[in-house]
Amino acid sequence: MKKVKINHHSEFELDLASLLAVIMKLVPVLLLSSAFMQLMVIETDLPQVVTEAIQKQEKENKKNILVEVDDSRKVVITIDVEGKKSTVSVDPTKEGHVDLAKLQLTFREIKQQNPDIFKIDLAPAGNVAYNEVVRVMDEARRSRDYHIRFPIKDEKTGKDTTTDYMFPEIVFVNMMEG
Amino acid sequence: MGRRRHFEMDVKQNSTFTLNITSMTDMFTLLLVFLLQNFATSSVELKPVKDLRVPTSNSYKNPVDVLQVSVSEGEIRVSDKVVARVQNRQIASTDIDPQDSNFIKPLFQELQERAHDPKAQKGKDEDNGQILLQADQNLPYQTIRKVMYTASMAGYPHVKLVTVIGN
Repeated sequence: MKKVKINHHSEFELDLASLLAVIMKLVPVLLLSSAFMQLMVIETDLPQVVTEAIQKQEKENKKNILVEVDDSRKVVITIDVEGKKSTVSVDPTKEGHVDLAKLQLTFREIKQQNPDIFKIDLAPAGNVAYNEVVRVMDEARRSRDYHIRFPIKDEKTGKDTTTDYMFPEIVFVNMMEG
Repeated sequence: MGRRRHFEMDVKQNSTFTLNITSMTDMFTLLLVFLLQNFATSSVELKPVKDLRVPTSNSYKNPVDVLQVSVSEGEIRVSDKVVARVQNRQIASTDIDPQDSNFIKPLFQELQERAHDPKAQKGKDEDNGQILLQADQNLPYQTIRKVMYTASMAGYPHVKLVTVIGN
């Protein structure tokens, strides 16, 4: 039989010109449609003037959590469970900012004690920066530690499940104040 | 005397050469991957407002195509139209209703006009009283509150706060 000789030391060059041509066309298209700054939204529920009275009435017999951020950036959380009120406060940091790490832990504890509450009332003081308000909302909305989850009942299937969301519904209650 | 001979390079006129584009292809492939990651998946176009820095948040919810209101350190805009002024991070006193310190008159008028104008709604999602609020991160809450209060009065009680991804 005739043996085919294969030269294992032979070299060849890939023709990358066509690949480069495709990439050159793709790059400008993607550059034009790229979002280098991804803007997202936080949803808030604001009580309408007409529905405010109804909401207040509903709140009277239910559990309610009020989060107040005062001028010194101290956060006072008042938990109202069927008329029984308890208060937890989070002192500001030495730099005079809201202590976000401590606030997250406090929210987690409150959520573990009250897994059926998903809404909080937020009342920041007038001079609190918008940036800080958003950060407080972030801490309240979901747990930063994905291993810590909270029980929730699936209304459709009736089965118990878990979620990392703590208080996703945030209402600015002092919006109507002067 | 013998003339001095000039050195002449032996250049072949009909020679061809191949460009090594491997490294260039590498670079473009990396660029392509980066651009694909940043590819805008949201269909809503949010125009960045000059001198306005939105706060960072861990929210990953895409914006919806509804009426846009922006509050920078200098002015309040509804879409692209300037409706009120902001001075020293406060709403200009001339734009505030003397009867109600939270009520921004020109903003209310503009929002009410748009709420009742079918042309303004054209091409947008059904808003159901929703607005997208782009506000500067350094503004105090009382300024934002006035905008939200006025929007609520004008028939836009559901405010979606625009943020940028971050921790």
